[in-house]
Amino acid sequence: MMAAQKILLPYNFKTLDQKALAFANSTFGHLEDVEITLFHAYTPLPEIEAESTSVMGKLKGDLSYLSQKIMQLETELKAVEEKLLQGGFAQSCIHTVFKPRKKDIAAEIIEFVSDDKSNVIIINHKSGKASRFFTGSVFSKVVSALKDTTVCIVS
Amino acid sequence: MGNAEKIDIDVFKAVARAIAHSDDLEIMTGHLTQLLAGTLEIKGCSIFALEPESGELELLSSFGLSVGYLNKGPVFSGKSIGDIKKGKPVIIRDLKDTDLLQYPQEASEEGIGAIVSVPIKFYGKNIGALRLYHHEQWDISEQDIDSLLVLAENIGLAMMYTRLLNALKEVKSTVNEVHSVWFNAIGG
Repeated sequence: MMAAQKILLPYNFKTLDQKALAFANSTFGHLEDVEITLFHAYTPLPEIEAESTSVMGKLKGDLSYLSQKIMQLETELKAVEEKLLQGGFAQSCIHTVFKPRKKDIAAEIIEFVSDDKSNVIIINHKSGKASRFFTGSVFSKVVSALKDTTVCIVS
Repeated sequence: MGNAEKIDIDVFKAVARAIAHSDDLEIMTGHLTQLLAGTLEIKGCSIFALEPESGELELLSSFGLSVGYLNKGPVFSGKSIGDIKKGKPVIIRDLKDTDLLQYPQEASEEGIGAIVSVPIKFYGKNIGALRLYHHEQWDISEQDIDSLLVLAENIGLAMMYTRLLNALKEVKSTVNEVHSVWFNAIGG
């Protein structure tokens, strides 16, 4: 049976994400019949054309370092999962999604909400004016695309 | 570490392709930081956007640095590796021998031995910074610094291009939302 509240918590390891995590714990951690998904989409390693052999060689040599760094992120996400447990969520109600991103982060979140049928999203409103100017607002894109979803804003 | 050239034409080609093949700035800068960290065999790399009023360097993308180090606090161009504000590259070859850092303790705990910081410019104006972090002392060659400056100029162009593309997409989306009935009503 589907939980009454399916919460999505996009997590990008920033200070505001820590605030969103604290909010999720204090607001939903003690409730029954809730599920929460921690979501992080990382940038996959770039594909390099075979003709760039020396670069490929250098990258291959260091590929294990690069992959290891991505795996470290996954471990960090597991640590966040632990904080949800400490916040009162049952182990069986916590899900973690760690996936390579194929499109912009807003589109990844919107797709996940639709596929997973999440009905609550805790999202932060990025404070950085310059980075928002260049990359666009994930918050605006997500909020304008969602329907029948409760949006909790952390800023 | 010696000062032999590390950025050759193949590295440049791979980086240029990473810039050309993505219209998403976060993916593009993510790939750039991975490519530079991997091919230069350094600890990590970050790309920042400069907030012109406050002088804060806002993180766009990073690779190889810990979450704790990235969340150490706001980075200001005037306090952190100051000459970036003047539009010049700053090379800290040995972290133990500098007073240019805003967070020296955190950098030392992160295991950073050297930092190279290059301004990202657009038509001569500073719009960000590209930073490379080495685990040990780093005698980067003049030619590699020059290559990084050219690379940073390309990043600046790509940042502005994706910004304009985002604006264009927003305009298109707004125009698509205009119903023909409303359009006729205002005399279209």
